[in-house]
Amino acid sequence: MLHVQNRELVMPGQLLAEGGYIINEGAFREGGRVYASVVGLADIHGQKIRVIPLRGRYIPKHGDIVIGVVIDTHYSGWILDLNSPYVGNLFVSDLLRRKVDLVREDIGQYLGIGDVVVAKIKDVNELMRVQLEAGEPSMGRVAGGKLVEVVPTKVPRIIGRKGSMLNVLQSVGGCRLTVGQNGRVMIWGDDPRRVNAVIEALLMIEREAHTSGLTDRVRLMLEKVKSEGGE
Amino acid sequence: MEKPEKLIVDGKRLDGRAPDELRPLKIQAGVLKRADGSAYVELGKNKVLAAVYGPREMHPRHHQQPDTAVLRCRYNMAPFSVEERKRPGPDRRSVEISKVAREALEPVVFLELYPRSAIDIFIEILQADAGTRTTGITAASVALADAGVPMRDLVSAVAVGKVDDTIVLDLTKEEDQWGTTDMPIALMPRKKLITLLQMDGHFTHEEFKRALALAFNGCEQIYEAQKRALREKYSVKPEEE
Amino acid sequence: MYEIVSSVKRDYIVDLARQGKRVDGRALDQCRDVSVETGLIKSAQGSALVKLGSTQVLAGVKLERVEPFPDTPPSGVLMVNAELLPLASPTFEPGPPDENAIELARVVDRGIRESGAIDIDKLGITPGEEVWAVFIDIHVLDHDGNLIDASALAAIAALWSIKTPKVEGWTLPEFPIVKKPVAITMAKIDEKLMVDPCLSEENVMDARATVTTVEDGSICAIQKGGVGCFTREDLEAAYELARARAEDLRKHIG
Repeated sequence: MLHVQNRELVMPGQLLAEGGYIINEGAFREGGRVYASVVGLADIHGQKIRVIPLRGRYIPKHGDIVIGVVIDTHYSGWILDLNSPYVGNLFVSDLLRRKVDLVREDIGQYLGIGDVVVAKIKDVNELMRVQLEAGEPSMGRVAGGKLVEVVPTKVPRIIGRKGSMLNVLQSVGGCRLTVGQNGRVMIWGDDPRRVNAVIEALLMIEREAHTSGLTDRVRLMLEKVKSEGGE
Repeated sequence: MEKPEKLIVDGKRLDGRAPDELRPLKIQAGVLKRADGSAYVELGKNKVLAAVYGPREMHPRHHQQPDTAVLRCRYNMAPFSVEERKRPGPDRRSVEISKVAREALEPVVFLELYPRSAIDIFIEILQADAGTRTTGITAASVALADAGVPMRDLVSAVAVGKVDDTIVLDLTKEEDQWGTTDMPIALMPRKKLITLLQMDGHFTHEEFKRALALAFNGCEQIYEAQKRALREKYSVKPEEE
Repeated sequence: MYEIVSSVKRDYIVDLARQGKRVDGRALDQCRDVSVETGLIKSAQGSALVKLGSTQVLAGVKLERVEPFPDTPPSGVLMVNAELLPLASPTFEPGPPDENAIELARVVDRGIRESGAIDIDKLGITPGEEVWAVFIDIHVLDHDGNLIDASALAAIAALWSIKTPKVEGWTLPEFPIVKKPVAITMAKIDEKLMVDPCLSEENVMDARATVTTVEDGSICAIQKGGVGCFTREDLEAAYELARARAEDLRKHIG
């Protein structure tokens, strides 16, 4: 039996349902009852129930694409800040995709402190120790562009259903984007005016993530900037 | 101010409240930019700000727990928050309050979800008028929810006491000073579980039971205000051009 | 703890500076939006909450009777203290004031003291025995850059909000506040001076200069910070900027 409606805003401790529901995230079971554990939107699909969180830190998950910042180096790799309670460890062999003779090669030539790296979460163990890999062509150190940080819980909205929002941002916005699940977004574009418009659009998505018709509003906004022409 | 002859006249307290009445309460969620979560609470003349950072990396590292997050809490009074300027920094009172406040909040937080990390709560008393620890806990619990920290429930807190032989809810500074009893309580309202309880003064068994009932009632009102504040911050406001 | 700034962010801000632009779209000589709210704290004789963009600072003033300093027996005492509360930034840690908090308090102190903003000689009670002490406590609530200007403005606005203090034993008609010193800080990034740096600018700046001026445009305090350097021309320009912007901020006082 359900006690909330789909898409309803719920509070921690609020009763969502009774009975054999499958909990996805943002909820917990006590006895035969399911309660919300975070402020968020109830999302119910058949017997599956979850609460889409509206705020919260990024927690690394296997397979996620993230954007990290190098904060330390060690003998065989680097430690990356992931905008998360947990840092990521990137071995040089997982960056270069080859064996590296650490005695003969200075790994400092590949990455330094402050560098921004697009990486994939290769593994997370039960102690939340995070291994990264960055060997694919779209990964590794990034240069130029603008780094924007948004609330990580809003990332799914920035990407959109089947990448629809990201598509609009890139095609109508005239910029190239890399979106990290950890709330970091890289933007590259030739026209600073359009880069700024895309940043504006990202902030708009962050603010209005849970409203409908958002993709159309973003498209409209970016089209306006596009039609106003260059400098 | 000198002790008035009576603190309750014709069933009304010095500020005009009935014995079972809360002071005016105002709660706002999400008032700071840098913090992961924050809340501002006014209860009568109390003005309290709470911020939450985390879960974040635990420093120093040797304080990390392999299987759980560690909740840390710091209660602090601004030097100008009280009549006579308080010297900055922790004293024995604030260290104790930090501890009991942390223990009042810890039961609701799913710490086991974030091994090795820290969740930090900072409670700042900007203006004090009795009941700062309970107001601080009320604020901190909203700040935790605002930070998106998974919780079993919110925590609502209030003080009850005895003034002129009457059991009253939510004591003011005068009532705390000249009354006989002060009992701060924090509650997980959904399951009616007490997470903070302190008392100094004197209660008979009967008075204690009545005080508890009054406190539960007060917490219930605070709970509704906390949820209202969070709803206000997060409810859907489609901004049309 | 300090923040490691990503190379991408640094390059972006420096690149913008080269074009005479700023990360939040402001002009180089433009302050963020300012608001000043006084009288919030009833337990203090004076108080002011200053918002400078997202930076928030609360200052409270308490008046207390104390023994004077032996070298100035008839004069009142001024004390400025600043707390970088851990609630205000992930990089602030609990504990006694560190060098940043102490520098902040001392820069604010110098602006007020050296401008003669408070007529301290009027704060004697019994010469050599008892005088009024003015405690200014600066509580940093949200750190998004330029704490010095926000704190200095909060302090002076709190002092001007006192009027006739409600404190036992006060006999003067009014609190003797006479001047309005205003601190303006400029960050130097890639040879450009930027007024009122936000946090991301502070994180990449080479150096900063704070110039505190009073109503007639004269200087009462200066503080250079950061490891970079200033030329003489920089300082000429900084002074002109400080004087102009101080005039705007001064409108928010008293």
